[in-house]
Amino acid sequence: MTDRHDDATLNLEGRTLNRREWLSLTGAGIVMAASSPGAFAQGTPVSKRGGVLRVSGSANPSSLDPATGGAGTDHTYLWTIFDTLVEWDYDTLKPKPGMAEWSYPDAKTMLINIKPGITFHDDTPCDAQAVKFNLDRGRQDQRSNIKADLSSIASVDVTGPLQVKLTLLRPDTALPAILSDRAGMMYSPKAVRDFGNDHDRKPVGAGPWKFVSWADNQKIVVTHYDKYWRSDRGFLGGIEFSIIPELATGLRSVVAGQNDMAYALPPRLKPIIEKSKDLNLVTGPTLYCLQLYFNLAKKPLDNVKVRQAINYAVDREAFVKLALSGMGEAATMQLPKSHWAYDPSVATLYPHDLNKARALLDEAGFKNGFELVVGGYTDQDSVRRGEIIMEQLAKVGIKLKFINGTVPEISGQFFGNEKKFDVLLSAWTGRPDPAMTYGLMYAKDAYFNAGRVEVSPELSTLLQESRASENIETRKQVFAKIQRIIMEQGLVAPLAFTLEFNAISKKVQGYKPNLLGKPKYEFLSMAG
Amino acid sequence: MLTAARRAVIRRRLLQAVPVLVLATLVVFGLLKLMPGDIAITLAGENATDERINEIREMYGLNRPFLVQYGSWLAHALTGDLSKSLASGEAVATSIARSFPNTLLIVLLAMGVALVLGIPLGILAASKPDSLLDRVVTSIASLGIAVPSFWLAMILVAWFALEWGWFPATGSVALGQDPIKALHHAVLPALALAGGGLAEVSRQLRSSMVEYLSSSPVRTLHAKGLSSMSILWKHGLKNVGVNLLTVATLLFNRMLAATVVVEAVFAIPGMGNLIVNGALHRDLPVVQGVVFVMVLVVITVNLVADVLYTVLDPRIG
Repeated sequence: MTDRHDDATLNLEGRTLNRREWLSLTGAGIVMAASSPGAFAQGTPVSKRGGVLRVSGSANPSSLDPATGGAGTDHTYLWTIFDTLVEWDYDTLKPKPGMAEWSYPDAKTMLINIKPGITFHDDTPCDAQAVKFNLDRGRQDQRSNIKADLSSIASVDVTGPLQVKLTLLRPDTALPAILSDRAGMMYSPKAVRDFGNDHDRKPVGAGPWKFVSWADNQKIVVTHYDKYWRSDRGFLGGIEFSIIPELATGLRSVVAGQNDMAYALPPRLKPIIEKSKDLNLVTGPTLYCLQLYFNLAKKPLDNVKVRQAINYAVDREAFVKLALSGMGEAATMQLPKSHWAYDPSVATLYPHDLNKARALLDEAGFKNGFELVVGGYTDQDSVRRGEIIMEQLAKVGIKLKFINGTVPEISGQFFGNEKKFDVLLSAWTGRPDPAMTYGLMYAKDAYFNAGRVEVSPELSTLLQESRASENIETRKQVFAKIQRIIMEQGLVAPLAFTLEFNAISKKVQGYKPNLLGKPKYEFLSMAG
Repeated sequence: MLTAARRAVIRRRLLQAVPVLVLATLVVFGLLKLMPGDIAITLAGENATDERINEIREMYGLNRPFLVQYGSWLAHALTGDLSKSLASGEAVATSIARSFPNTLLIVLLAMGVALVLGIPLGILAASKPDSLLDRVVTSIASLGIAVPSFWLAMILVAWFALEWGWFPATGSVALGQDPIKALHHAVLPALALAGGGLAEVSRQLRSSMVEYLSSSPVRTLHAKGLSSMSILWKHGLKNVGVNLLTVATLLFNRMLAATVVVEAVFAIPGMGNLIVNGALHRDLPVVQGVVFVMVLVVITVNLVADVLYTVLDPRIG
């Protein structure tokens, strides 16, 4: 075991610990104990180039074309092949320049300046033409899944070899964050034209690694791109993902030494990771929020008092302890503490208070309680979560009747046209910009607003306002107002943020967790 | 070799295969369609809108009537086009061509273990019925049937892969790529799968052998002065051959299905893995493709068995 296991540890010099670091250190406590004290005095390690990282991937990708894919589990593969126009800060998700810098000359114009010298893996340049091609494809292609993300753009014009001007239909300052997601992943226009629809499976980006092969449900292989535009990252010679959806099996492959890393593991596997002396446990907070979704159009959930009562009745701390083995953060709103737009004043709205919950139910006319039908999932962890919530709400007379099934089945029935169930016990996986989260969940016709009701005109106005200012402090204030309305109205009952939970071989260095909880490999290197 | 009788058997079986194939795929197609939820929601991505979901249903023809969808699939399948996975865009034929050998290797290896160990054990037990040896073999066989394959798989992984590191814990290697590695990966899954099969072969063989040994022709053989060994291995085995073949055929077909569980434990990208993932995502073309190929395999195996019956016992025809 060498003493440079993790940039997060090494970056501690001269700074106080923030929560993420504290967590990643408690998680990696074994590492700290084993390291020599000199670990902190060495400065930035020189990362070794080469070596192949073997990762147990948690799901087969929906596509390797960022624009046509749709699963949240795709990103960890996509980021190896595609760089994004905008990037974010690992700890707070604040947007920062990636392949491009941006500015807003006026509220309805966004300028994108692409950095020079970037080429795609097929040696074609990533220039203004390429960016225009990608943004137009995202907006207009029949198969594009990111049309809604780019709906504020009226036109894209090339105003210089490396400059693109976006003319907007309405102010949209969520665009930088949107361009740090799928929409900002630039695909070689030549490859899209040459391969036709087959390009979904033969991705050509401008990221640190280029695509080698993808066998469904089996393996994805990428290898280092020698002309990658940055020298301070992309150290690995290649990455091999073995796709193992059963997470305990994925961890087993790491314990057995067949893979070097498994991610997105459930906390109940913690003892196995700790027992294995060749592995580090790395954790960090994420935006992934377990929560109760309400169908606001259904009785009795159309009554704000009932929703508030549920929020008072759930015991979030107990939930974290029981459902997540203590490895999580109680969710008092839809952003975790380390997020840049977190507002501590909203966090105190719902202390666990059974009397208050009972009083509210009484006022709402449900002194003797009532029954709610809840949609849930059949996997072991989901069932356990359901049982805990069932027991907690029973204390105030709310009986839950669970109907469990697979994720597409149950969520489709809840959010889609069938409008089954009153409540859904599920999760929100988080988005790079809070405006996306709130828009997708609370706009009147949003898919994730199961009841399709307009909550209040004020919220609708605020949702628009949240995209109007570029100033991050102003935006923070707008988000605080939105979050307050959401929680005061009890539009949702957030329960807990899960932690990113990875088992990583001690041979692997430089892993940093990020707030999206989806591993990025740009700073990783292999020891020895 | 291909006598008129055998040709007739083959012809009859092939004709029977057509309705079986259509019925099996139709039932599976119907079951998947009856399940709530559809792939359009998954395909629409994380930031789905109602509009987009409907657009996708339209784009992939998921709105068409059930029989039209099935008919279109069948028409393509019969021309050898198993279409593409809706979830990932990979040609289903490609997925199957890659996955089937993994499954087949495990099943064949498991069959090998079950037969090579099961036959001698069954004969040994039959040679001395009700002896201590017989009771031990019978008890082991009962245990083999009672132990579920997923449990056995976990135990094998815990000891042979994680504790001692003799075999890999997960994954598979294609036989064509590296035969030694491929076998190395297949050993534990095959053993997990073989447990029940071994027990079944030995028990079935024992009972038919005991029955044969107590029959009058055997008395004649004894009277002719033949040794017990010769009666057991030469005459006995030939006489119980038909039974053995039946057991083996059924076992093979059942193991093909049972790999679903074993493949999950060992994360083997085989047919079981393919159909489970397909069903979870409502990826109809994948599920249909796997069912189609599996039905073909089972029909072929049964056909081969039918022909072999006529070889083992000329009275069958």
